[in-house]
Amino acid sequence: MSITVRGISKRFARFAALDSVDLDVPHGRLVALLGPSGSGKTTLLRIIAGLETPDAGSVHFDGRDISDQTTRERRVGFVFQHYALFRHMTVFENVAFGLRVRPRGTRPSAQRIRERVGELLELIQLGSQAGRYPSQLSGGQRQRVALARALAVEPSVLLLDEPFGALDAKVRLELRRWLRALHDEVGVTSVFVTHDQDEALEVADQVAVMNAGRIEQVGTPDEVYHHPATPFVYNFLGNVNLFHGRVDDGVTRLVREATGHLVFIRPHALDLARQPNGANTIRAVTKHIHAAGPVVKVEAVTEWGAPVHVEIGQERLRELSLQKGDEIFITPRDVAVFADD
Amino acid sequence: MVSATAAPARSFAPATAESPAVRLVLVGLSVLFLSVFLLAPLALIFVTAFGHGIAAYFQTFTNPDTLSAIRLTLLAAAIAVPCNLVFGVAAAWAIGKFEFFGKSFLISLIDLPFSVSPVVAGLTYVLLFGAQGFFGPWLTAHDVHIIFAVPGIVLVTIFVTFPFVARELLPLVAAQGNEEEEAALTLGAGGWQTFFRVTLPNVKWALLYGVILCNARAMGEFGAVSVVSGHIRGLTDTMPLQIEVLYNDYQFVPAFALASLLALLALATLVVKSAIEWRSAKPSEALEGEAA
Repeated sequence: MSITVRGISKRFARFAALDSVDLDVPHGRLVALLGPSGSGKTTLLRIIAGLETPDAGSVHFDGRDISDQTTRERRVGFVFQHYALFRHMTVFENVAFGLRVRPRGTRPSAQRIRERVGELLELIQLGSQAGRYPSQLSGGQRQRVALARALAVEPSVLLLDEPFGALDAKVRLELRRWLRALHDEVGVTSVFVTHDQDEALEVADQVAVMNAGRIEQVGTPDEVYHHPATPFVYNFLGNVNLFHGRVDDGVTRLVREATGHLVFIRPHALDLARQPNGANTIRAVTKHIHAAGPVVKVEAVTEWGAPVHVEIGQERLRELSLQKGDEIFITPRDVAVFADD
Repeated sequence: MVSATAAPARSFAPATAESPAVRLVLVGLSVLFLSVFLLAPLALIFVTAFGHGIAAYFQTFTNPDTLSAIRLTLLAAAIAVPCNLVFGVAAAWAIGKFEFFGKSFLISLIDLPFSVSPVVAGLTYVLLFGAQGFFGPWLTAHDVHIIFAVPGIVLVTIFVTFPFVARELLPLVAAQGNEEEEAALTLGAGGWQTFFRVTLPNVKWALLYGVILCNARAMGEFGAVSVVSGHIRGLTDTMPLQIEVLYNDYQFVPAFALASLLALLALATLVVKSAIEWRSAKPSEALEGEAA
């Protein structure tokens, strides 16, 4: 089922959480709402679920305006950051809840409920834990139960609010790959909220980058990472170096003074050399070299005192035999220029 | 060679542990204090009640006035406790789950019966519903009797015991937040289904605890009831009032026999309360596990 959001605005007291937001989620896609805290992404998700009421705008499922429907009528699956499992129920009863509360006419038989819950517990690989209580499970297991519980009611769309936010780094990584695989298997239209750009870029088909109650850019992970539409998106998706610049004959020159243009350069899009190489080179001095890990992170300071972060390979480091305090020459390979306003 | 056993054996007492002598004195003092001020009077009730034998003890419960007092107390509690159960759940729900103007005022209001002397509470009801009171003329004209009658006793009992259920539930309801209810809604549960399947089971032990305390107070209340009762023997005397009446008539065995009944109620309450605390300690462990 596709989701269409048109002109949604929401204010909390004096704070504008959402400012006329439009969003399209095609059928069967997995879309990430990515943004810093306070950008309105969770509010947007809750409005889609019907857990919050917007001040203006409408939400459509498959083109049908469902703005006036209650959460119950929308049949969405919602996964909460802190799981929100029913703590007094076993894993089995948690997953069965959505089936048991159906009106008598549409409620499956006890036998059918048992089968369906059994299938879902197999899907989340927790078949052996059916009789346990949420407090006896690990965080990752709990979130999988929450997901199975949401899927049990065969929701029209699946909404996940920072689903891995409360988990430690390693479990997070496992679970997000598992979520991607699960989505490929189940195929339900899904929207998930995250503030972690790696998570969004790795898991989602499409990423909507949000800032201050607006959507800055929507695109595939590749598009938003490599072709950011705004300085905010550039900044938010990965580390970035910020320079003043001047564009002459299609060549961007990095300069000291403010020029009205801002130049964004990723740390890995800078080359280091011992000798000046071409005209567009800035001189700098290395301050720190962090060589632990697959890439070497070099912190340097330009001749006019601005800090620069450069990432190079381990081999390049050995070739240059770089030491702290060495003079180096930095050449940008790939830049993005935005007007400074 | 490294020898770990060469070190002299030392007891690693926690830094906060006191010496045995200090502990003995502290425990001894507590036990002595409890014995003199709590256990001895309790024992004395039963000693005096059975002072003239078991037959005399049970003779008490054939007195029609005494039986009427027991019935009235049970009636007042039977009305007050369910009322406060409903009010308490509603108030805790409203305060714990929603933000609204005047919320802190409402919380203070719930505590009012705890801070106001029961006698004052009784007097305000007399001022409202008494013959010379605010609603007095209207009530007299319509032949409704509240003060010096059973309705007044029930009303002040509800007033005095109002905070127990709400106070027990409030912190719990507030701490649990809305997420489980929201989850139930997204899963298609209606309002009542959410309440009975999710909200209520989460607070059931606190609720039961509040009800038990509420009941104990409802049966034991003296001051407020005394003001509105009018002490009509066999009609508007509750158990505590009847005990006073009997005592003032120098009928010590019946007075203490009736008192023993209230004391038994208190003991039963304590037992149930401890059982609940023991039982509800388990979910709280579970909560800690969840936080970890």
